[in-house]
Amino acid sequence: MRANFIFSEVWIGLRRNLTMTIAVIVTVAIGMALLGIGLMINAQVGSMSNYWSDKVQLSAFLCKKNDAFEACKGRGAVSAQEKQQLEAQIKGLPQVDRVFFEDQQKAYENFKAAYSSNSVFLNAVRVEDMPESFRVKLKDPNEYKAVYDALAGAPGVSNVVNDQELLDKFFGLMEKLRWAALVVALIQVFAAILLIGNTVRLSAYNRRRETGIMRLVGASNLYIQMPFVMEGTIAGLIGGVISAVMLMLAKIVLFDGMNNYFVLSTQLTWSEVAQVITLTTVIGVVICIIASFFTLRRYLRV
Amino acid sequence: MIHFDNVTKVYANQNRPALDHVSVDVDKGEFVFLVGPSGSGKSTFLRLVLKEERPNSGAIHVAGKDLARLSNFKVPHLRRRIGCVFQDFRLLPNKNVYENVAFALEVIGKPRRFIRKVVPEVVELVGLEGKAHRMPDELSGGEQQRVAMARAFVNRPMILLADEPTGNIDPATSIGIMKVLDRINRTGTTVVMATHDAAIVDSMRKRVVELEDGKIVRDQSRGVYGQAY
Repeated sequence: MRANFIFSEVWIGLRRNLTMTIAVIVTVAIGMALLGIGLMINAQVGSMSNYWSDKVQLSAFLCKKNDAFEACKGRGAVSAQEKQQLEAQIKGLPQVDRVFFEDQQKAYENFKAAYSSNSVFLNAVRVEDMPESFRVKLKDPNEYKAVYDALAGAPGVSNVVNDQELLDKFFGLMEKLRWAALVVALIQVFAAILLIGNTVRLSAYNRRRETGIMRLVGASNLYIQMPFVMEGTIAGLIGGVISAVMLMLAKIVLFDGMNNYFVLSTQLTWSEVAQVITLTTVIGVVICIIASFFTLRRYLRV
Repeated sequence: MIHFDNVTKVYANQNRPALDHVSVDVDKGEFVFLVGPSGSGKSTFLRLVLKEERPNSGAIHVAGKDLARLSNFKVPHLRRRIGCVFQDFRLLPNKNVYENVAFALEVIGKPRRFIRKVVPEVVELVGLEGKAHRMPDELSGGEQQRVAMARAFVNRPMILLADEPTGNIDPATSIGIMKVLDRINRTGTTVVMATHDAAIVDSMRKRVVELEDGKIVRDQSRGVYGQAY
């Protein structure tokens, strides 16, 4: 096999079909970038749900003096007896793993840690403004309903916040984004296959003299088909490289940017991005090879 | 070298057979004219030898191989032992004489050193010495056909098939073409040439096989074009 001969044929073919080649490259790049973003969302959601799974808790906030919550209207702060009763009630529930009490001082410290960068906000809040709360760790975060119902109406409880519910909303949004990216990626892959088919067809027509002579003098099928398949492969590879650049930008702009808005969420690592890039590039090239090979069988008689 | 045994070929969508129970033997080193009017089956005969078409019935042996039992995978290897020349030359317009001839060796993976050695030899054999770097559009029809013959012969095939090689060339130039074919035949290559050109057939005094409506109506050694004697 004469490599330089094949490469010169490939170069001629790519140049003759420049517009089609560019169309293939762009389609593959966009398709693979979207597929990659879908996979990156997957990785992000995966590491986040791992991170959160042992941290989610159900928080029952208790009434403080002059509390604005509906459940606390017309009564003072929660009494020590009510607190004891609540604690006993929570501990009695079968779904509960463990429970601890957070007093106003501790709540203020947590608040300070979370909003350390926002000094205006921090200065406006005093220790007395912080509500006391019971923090309940559930055996299974998804089984929160019974505990929630038991605590929601109990005397002295202002409101109940369930982390799992908030996370579910966030994960639901991520899930939708992921599916949207994957569906568009699939459409792009389909378009790429059709485009490659057309490119190969044009290429085969442009080079019908050459292939006719090759057939005549007894060139092997592999030798005749190789330049066409290589054209597809190179277009796929260039598309893959462009999609890799897009994915790296997505990691920096979208994922790391998003991280700034969600305190304590986990960061997508570069090694995860590298895995996604490798996978999408390989998929892009393989799609191109398969598409060119199968259209060749239709348009190039050997 | 070429052996047709009761071969019939009917193209799809056609009632009349292109070849009708044809049996013919061409020995190694022979020079055979295939004559007959258009549509008499000459081209079909050549296409069958190349296994570009399959016969509906009958057996074909080429260079000792039974074509019916030759897998598609091995057809390229059969074609490497057969050279082809056509009426329309079929040169690559963007390659010069040397490159056109070298192309035939490049695509079957011959090493560059070998190509550099044999291509000039063959270019000289067909009488194009000094014109290796001309482009096809700078050559006359006769010279272009010589390039095509060089390309067909450069891999030293056992058989050379020529489909009306003088069809686009004036009679004076045709004589030169025939001399090259004769020279190639003298190296031991079997030559089968389909033609309409009565003058050439008459002047060469080689074996003549005449086809009409797909049947062999005459097979004569040292024959002429015209009627059967």
